[in-house]
Amino acid sequence: MKKKKTSTLLLFFIVLVSGLLFACSNGNDNGDGSVELRFIAANHPWTEAIEPLLPEFEKETGIKVKFEKYFEDQLTQKLTTEFTAGSTSIDLFMMRPLQEGKLFNLNGWVADISSYTDDADWEYGDFTDPSVNSLKADDVLFGIPIVTEREILYYRKDIFEENNIEVPKTVEELMNVAKLLNDPANDFYGFVARGQSAAAVTQFSSFLYGFGGDFFVDGKATLDTPEAIEAFQFYGDMLREYGPPGVLNMSWPQAAGLFGQGKAAMYTDADSIYPNLTDPEKSVVGDKVGFTLFPAGPNGQTPYNVTSWGLAVNSKSENKDEAMEFIKWATSKEVVAKLQDNGVPGPRQSVWDNQQGTDTFPSELVDVINQANAIGREYDRPLVIKVNDARDIIGTVIVAAIQGEDVEAAAKAANKQFQELLDDEK
Amino acid sequence: MRKAKRLTYFNYVLIILVTLIFIFPFIWMLIASFKTQAQIMSTDTALFFQPTFDNYRSVFGEHNFLTYIINSFIVAFVSTVFGLILGLPAAYAIAKYKQQKLGFVILIARIIPGISFMIPWFIIFTKLNLTDSYTALVLSHMLVGLPFIIWIMIPSFEGLPAELEDAARVDGCTLQGAFVKVLLPLVMPGIITSSLMSFILSWNNFMFALVLSGEKTKTLPIAIFNFMSYSEINWGALMAAAVIITFPIIIISLFVQRYIISGVTAGAVKG
Repeated sequence: MKKKKTSTLLLFFIVLVSGLLFACSNGNDNGDGSVELRFIAANHPWTEAIEPLLPEFEKETGIKVKFEKYFEDQLTQKLTTEFTAGSTSIDLFMMRPLQEGKLFNLNGWVADISSYTDDADWEYGDFTDPSVNSLKADDVLFGIPIVTEREILYYRKDIFEENNIEVPKTVEELMNVAKLLNDPANDFYGFVARGQSAAAVTQFSSFLYGFGGDFFVDGKATLDTPEAIEAFQFYGDMLREYGPPGVLNMSWPQAAGLFGQGKAAMYTDADSIYPNLTDPEKSVVGDKVGFTLFPAGPNGQTPYNVTSWGLAVNSKSENKDEAMEFIKWATSKEVVAKLQDNGVPGPRQSVWDNQQGTDTFPSELVDVINQANAIGREYDRPLVIKVNDARDIIGTVIVAAIQGEDVEAAAKAANKQFQELLDDEK
Repeated sequence: MRKAKRLTYFNYVLIILVTLIFIFPFIWMLIASFKTQAQIMSTDTALFFQPTFDNYRSVFGEHNFLTYIINSFIVAFVSTVFGLILGLPAAYAIAKYKQQKLGFVILIARIIPGISFMIPWFIIFTKLNLTDSYTALVLSHMLVGLPFIIWIMIPSFEGLPAELEDAARVDGCTLQGAFVKVLLPLVMPGIITSSLMSFILSWNNFMFALVLSGEKTKTLPIAIFNFMSYSEINWGALMAAAVIITFPIIIISLFVQRYIISGVTAGAVKG
C-alpha cells in the first residue's frame, strides 16, 4: 500500500516536470540553415541608433542578428555568468574596455581579432590611436571601439558674457572664475562635478594627469605622490568651496541635473552626456551651454580620451567570421557617419573631419573634440582587474578632500590599500 | 467620554502623519511619472506642473511593456501554482508526522544565497536548451516561493486537530480526499497569504530572471532598466514603469488584506 502511494506520487512528479519541459522548451534553430548571431548589447544611444540600420546588414549578408539589451551593470553580470559557464551561444557583445577589458582578456573570454585588421575597405588605420589603444593588450587586439568620450569643460555662455569673463584655459583660472561666480546665497554655484566617491574617480583623472600624477606606474601605486596629493586637494577645494551642497552624493545624473537647472556656472564631465544639458526637455539652459577643452594643469593639458564602449567577439563563438563581418559593417565609415549623425561620438577621425558626420553636434563641441582627439590619455581609471575596488579606494581620498580632511593622510592610506590590490593581481 | 474622544482625534492626526511619511516615496513616484525630465529635476515644479502622459505612452509604446507584464504574470502565477501543488502536501506531511529535520533541510534552500545557484543553473538550463524559456524561470522562482509556502503552511496545519482528518476517514474519505475536501478549506487564510507572498517574491525577483531570461521572456524587474542607459536616465518613464509594476500588487494586496492578517497569526495561538 505504502509503496504504491510512493510510486504514484513519483509518477505524478515525473509527468509534471516532463510536461513542463516539453511544453516550454524552445530551440534557437532557425531551420533554414542561415546564421543568427546572438548579440548582447547595452542600453545605449549607439544600440538605439544601429537597430534601425540592421535590415541593411541582414539584406547584404544574409546574416541575422538577435539583440539582447541590458543596463551596463546587468550586462556585466550577465556576460560574466554566461562566460563562466562556458557559453558558446553568445557571438558578440558590447563591453566597456576600461571597466572590464582586462578581466575579460585575462579570462580568455574575448577572441583575438588582430588578424582581421588588414581589410583595406574597412580602413582600420582610420580609428584614432587613443580609441584603439584601450582595446589592446600586448599588441593583441581584442575589440573594436564604437563609442569614444573625452572630459571637457561645460560652461554658461550667458553668465560669462554678463560678467565679461574669459573661458578658463588653466586650472588656476578655473578656480578664480569659480570663486568669482560662486553665489551660494542665491543658490548658484561656481563649479560642479561628480563628488560621489567611486563615480568621481573617472572625472578626477584628467585633473590628476594635469597635475602630473597617475594612478600607478610600473606596478607601483602613486596615489600619495606630491603631484597626486595636490590634484586631490585641488579637486576637493573646488567642490567644497565653490560647489553645491550635497556634492558628495553626486554622480553625473545629479551633477548634470544641477547644471541643467541653471544652478552652476561650470561643470566638468564626459562630452557624451551633452544632450542632457542641451535638450530643452531636460535642461532649462539648453542654448546657453558652452563647450571648451579641459583646462591645462601645471603639467600640461591631458584630459582623458577613452573608448567607453567597444565590440568584442566571444572566444568560444562558433560564428566568429560572421561576428567580425557584423563588427566591420557596424564600424565602417558609412555606418559610423550615420551613427554619429544620431549623436553617438564615434572613433573614426575621417568622420570627425567630415561635415556630414558632425552636423548634429554643436559646432563648438566638434572643435573641442577634434582638439582633444590629438591629445589625451586612453584611460580614465586605473587599468586593473578589480576596477570597482580600485575606484572605491581612490574615491575615499576624493571624499576626504571634499570634506576638508587631511588629504595627505587619506592618500597615504589609500595608496597602501591600492598597492595591496596591485600586488594581489600580479 | 469627551477625553476619550479627543484622544481619538489625536490618534487620527498621528496616523495620518505617519501614513504620509510612509507613502511619500510612492506619491513622489506617482507624481514624477506625469512629469518631464526637467520638471522632475526642478524644485519649482514639485507640486504644480503641466502633467504629461508621454511617459506612459513611451512605456507601453516604444518599450512594449505589455509583453513584460504578461511574462512576469505567467512566471509568477505558474510558479505559485506549482509551489502550492508541491508545497501544501509537503507542509501537511511535515506538520502531521513531525518531520522537523526535513523542514529544516527545505529551509536551507533559502539560507544559501541565491547568487550561488546562478552559474550551475545556467549550465544546466543551457544543456537542456531551456534558457530564455518560461520553464527555467518558473523552476528557479519556485526555489524562492516553495520553501516560503511550506514554512507558512506548517503552523497552519499544526493548528488543525488530528480528529478532523480521522473523522473524514471514518466517513469514507480517502487520505487525499480528506486533505483536499476537509483540511485545505480550513487553512485557506494561510494558503492565500503564502501564495500572495510567493507571487510577490516572483514578481519582484531580479537575479534569477537576469541570467535565465532572454529577449523573449524578459520580466518586469529587468525591463525597468530599459530606462537607464550609459549617459541618460529617463526618470519620468522609469517612474511610470515603477507605478505599473507596483499597481497590480497593491490591488491584489488590498483585496485579500484581511486574509493575510489572519494567515500570519494563524497557528500563533493554539487553542
